[in-house]
Amino acid sequence: MTDPVYLDNAATTPLDSRVLESMLGHLGGRRGNPSSLHAFGGSAREALDEARERVASLIGASPGEILFTSGGTESDGLAVLGLARSSDPEKRHVVVSCVEHAAVRESANRLLSEGFEVTWIGVDADGLVDPAEFADALRPDTALAAVVWANNEVGTVEPVSKLAVICAERGVPFHADAVQAAGRVPIDVSETPVSTLALSGHKLYGPQGIGALYVRDGVSLEPIVYGGGQEKGLRSGTQNVAGIAGFGTAVKLAQEEMEDRVTHERSLRDRIMAGTAEVPDVSVNGHRERRLSNNVHLTVSGVEAESLVLFLDSLGYAVGSGSACSSGGHKASPVLLAMGLPEREAFSVVRITVGKQNTLEEVDGFLEAFSTAVAQLREISPLYAG
Amino acid sequence: MSDSYRPQVVDHLVRPRNTGEIDDASGRGESGDAACGDVACFTVAISGNVLEEVRYKVYGCAACIAAGSALAELVDGRSLLDGARVSKVDLEGALGGPLPAGKEHALTLVLDALHKAFEDHWNRKAGESLLEAQGGQKTGNKSVVAAMSGGVDSAVTALLLKEAGYDVATVTFRLHDGERGSRSCCSPDTVLFARDTAHRIGLPHFTLNLKELFDRRVMQDFAGSYSEGRTPNPCVACNAHVKFHASSFLADELGYHHVATGHYARVEEGPTLARPVDESKDQTYVLWPVPRDLLSRTIFPLGEYRKTEVRAIAEERGLAVAYTPESQDICFIPDGDYRGFVRKKVATKPGDVVDREGRVLGSHAGVVDFTVGQRRGIGVSAPTPLYVSEVRPRSGQVVVGRKQDLEVRKVRVTDLNWFLDPEEAALVQVRYNGSPVTCAVEEVAEGGWVAYLGEPVIGVAPGQSAVFYTGDGERVVGGGVVARKSS
Repeated sequence: MTDPVYLDNAATTPLDSRVLESMLGHLGGRRGNPSSLHAFGGSAREALDEARERVASLIGASPGEILFTSGGTESDGLAVLGLARSSDPEKRHVVVSCVEHAAVRESANRLLSEGFEVTWIGVDADGLVDPAEFADALRPDTALAAVVWANNEVGTVEPVSKLAVICAERGVPFHADAVQAAGRVPIDVSETPVSTLALSGHKLYGPQGIGALYVRDGVSLEPIVYGGGQEKGLRSGTQNVAGIAGFGTAVKLAQEEMEDRVTHERSLRDRIMAGTAEVPDVSVNGHRERRLSNNVHLTVSGVEAESLVLFLDSLGYAVGSGSACSSGGHKASPVLLAMGLPEREAFSVVRITVGKQNTLEEVDGFLEAFSTAVAQLREISPLYAG
Repeated sequence: MSDSYRPQVVDHLVRPRNTGEIDDASGRGESGDAACGDVACFTVAISGNVLEEVRYKVYGCAACIAAGSALAELVDGRSLLDGARVSKVDLEGALGGPLPAGKEHALTLVLDALHKAFEDHWNRKAGESLLEAQGGQKTGNKSVVAAMSGGVDSAVTALLLKEAGYDVATVTFRLHDGERGSRSCCSPDTVLFARDTAHRIGLPHFTLNLKELFDRRVMQDFAGSYSEGRTPNPCVACNAHVKFHASSFLADELGYHHVATGHYARVEEGPTLARPVDESKDQTYVLWPVPRDLLSRTIFPLGEYRKTEVRAIAEERGLAVAYTPESQDICFIPDGDYRGFVRKKVATKPGDVVDREGRVLGSHAGVVDFTVGQRRGIGVSAPTPLYVSEVRPRSGQVVVGRKQDLEVRKVRVTDLNWFLDPEEAALVQVRYNGSPVTCAVEEVAEGGWVAYLGEPVIGVAPGQSAVFYTGDGERVVGGGVVARKSS
């Protein structure tokens, strides 16, 4: 059997060999703590500075506004909890969309249990937040608002620029999770007045366990980790130097190659959309145009997600499932439910996300496997009468 | 343990066995629902108690699809009894070992669907006959259908019979919709628990749906009795019309000789009922209406044991039921509020509370709230405590009096079921928790029998059972229902 084909790039991307190369020097040989004064520390510090500049450059920030974290989840948590907890004690209201990544959603739920009031902003059938509805939800006592730049499940790109402007005009701090968007959608914080913005390394062919949070100059945050005061006191703990170096390389490559990557991804994505559309009773979720270049999200009527994912896996194709089945029964994705998908359909979804390494041949092979798997699972499904 | 699937699971997922649906199936069962994310459907073709064909369909995770496939393959072509014996452990074995954590529900789901197909098969076979089944088949073999509620008594009953060398098939009855289920999509917990227990003992398990029969014969009668001023005993009604008939039906279908339950009583020659070893658990009072021909094929293994011994046996054999609490109240009224239950079922209208001379002392909201002998809730103040001495549903009157006004020396009994010669009746018990008193009986022209009591008894309520015992108090001569005063 040939090597399995990886089509779950929204979960994590393969590590770019150039990224790996840039990390190796920090994993073996001379290693220093960036906080140390001696030469060992100095070279580690240089690596951090270089990476910080590259990340800042990707989003139009200045290096001093970038702090490194362990990944997207930590960045989201630090932003949401940190903004809320450092705000005026009179401000006990938070505005969050219904299509956030779990990192933002659960941080908001945490705030709820701390006594904050949370307004959840709904979305239309394509997963889009309505700026007017968003604006109406903001109040004088709103401590922060958060909307994902591009949703991680269905790939819908939100009108973040508009939302950020609305918040800036109203003096409300605004956080955007750009983990999926970075490298695919132009992001420029000098034009889009976000207060904080979350990034992650492993969605950009960088290492896992590394991420960054952009914090605009003058925005105050309460840390969630305390210690030696690294990263301007906002993220104590010795930095993951090798990870940060790799992240820096990955970000640099993403910036340089963005156009080519997006063009390539789009061609594969559209081929998958067209091919799967030929299978009966398969529909696309998420916005058709305002959509990440790598994302195909499908409802496959009459077929349960996990069985389809495992069936495709056995045929050599790795894709993502949209729900998790556990002892408590299935848990439908809150994002899909917010988009108005019936619960039953929300169990019948798969996410196919392409990457720069995928080829047209792989996509064609996948389409064949997909139609085989769907046909066979429908054959035994009591819920499909096609 | 790893959370990924074994190769056997993936193999069943990609190459499922016995898929599809049988068009003219003997039974069809479905478990789960689309909203909870998994649905399993089994169809079976049964002929001569052999599973000639088994087909399945599943919408669900890989574990469910694989478990359905493995189960269909396991039971296809086997006898119905062997199929009904296949347990979650057997199924795990067929799948190469335990499923990943959190996926065990798949085993429950597909087994439940298969068992519902069996249940459907019995329902189709029984039709109306199940409703009035009578015992008949006596092949003389050592085989028994044991009723299983999920509690400790019935589990130990089945276990003791198995250890005594019987071929045992277990059966659980669906009686009403009030049973708790942790998942709305599967059978109630009691059914799943009983099935698990049976399988752990290595016994086949069946489920029979008796809801319609139970509603007609027990629940409607229960509600109706109160509005007619009678005090019903639903356990008696169930033993008279439901439990033993249904067990007997299944025994006949399987070619089995005996039926058994976890009651504390003994069956002696005659047949008649005799008191159990554990007198504190004696259930002869509620077993009097079991028809003779059904009682003659009945075994009550627990009649020879004390309750403490039964619990010890369960504990020793590692049956989880050993720790279940004693069931107390009326099974279809789990919260114990039987007045509330009755009020929901029958219309009530207010009436007068009167004394024995007919003087109005007060009013009440409905006769369903009263039963003979009741002291609380009468709502009339008096220098001496007042008791309900009679309920007159037609006029809506509740008659109250002093305690001595309730004393009864003569009780008319109808709907008799005699096991022995009525002349042997020397003692009679007229209340569930009462003690037997001496009596003499006489058949009367207006119907039924009259028992002349050797001492006055208080609170004899129409609708309750009157059970006659032999002079030594050990054996049941017969029983019947306390009639209303002929006024």
